[in-house]
Amino acid sequence: MDKNNKIPFDEDNYTHNINKNNERKLDRRGFMKTMVGAAGLFAVSTLPWGSIAATELMGLREKKYPKKEIIDVKKLNIGDAFEFAYPTDHDSALLIRLGENEYKAYQNACTHLRCPVFWEQSKSELVCPCHHGFFDVKTGSPTAGPPRRPLPEITIQVEAGKIVATGVKRYET
Amino acid sequence: MKRSYRGVILLCAVLFLNIIFTQKAIHQYYYEDYTATVIYAILNIILFPIALFIYHKEKNV
Repeated sequence: MDKNNKIPFDEDNYTHNINKNNERKLDRRGFMKTMVGAAGLFAVSTLPWGSIAATELMGLREKKYPKKEIIDVKKLNIGDAFEFAYPTDHDSALLIRLGENEYKAYQNACTHLRCPVFWEQSKSELVCPCHHGFFDVKTGSPTAGPPRRPLPEITIQVEAGKIVATGVKRYET
Repeated sequence: MKRSYRGVILLCAVLFLNIIFTQKAIHQYYYEDYTATVIYAILNIILFPIALFIYHKEKNV
């Protein structure tokens, strides 16, 4: 009490007016520390993406796709779609028969948030129901909604009455 | 006592760049543009020592 009645106070740390607990927890310096920590976190979080991209660049993982039979030509009517998985069981894909000899196949995980994309026959469009993303069936490129990246196209061959998937097209960069 | 808030503003700018580079790196990865992904990842890593440097310069200003 005596101390506080003297002017000026016998104190040099400028904290005499702070009464609450933790009042100095997020001061200017504490905030800057948080920002530096966040910068470190961002740096670490891009490391796996960078390293995977680097191994892809060095050609350590030469991509070879297996041939996979999808369905009999006879079983798929014109205008119908068939869901399958390619290249692995976890990559769902969609085959659409557009004409007598016209087939299109895409990996049907929406490029926005990976919801499955469906074939809307009445509108001739690929639709992602989650956020109303639409894709052009001829090219796989997005026409409306949140997705910005085209669907990866799967190359298709017809061999002895069967539709066969032969690979996944790379994006042209 | 009057404090300088230059460090706070600079670190906010660094963090903003961090967000942009992370977003870009991941998008370019899905576009299979791996060179760009590596560049953005490296930029993001370089930003961390820059942030540390700013902190050390500005903590007592």
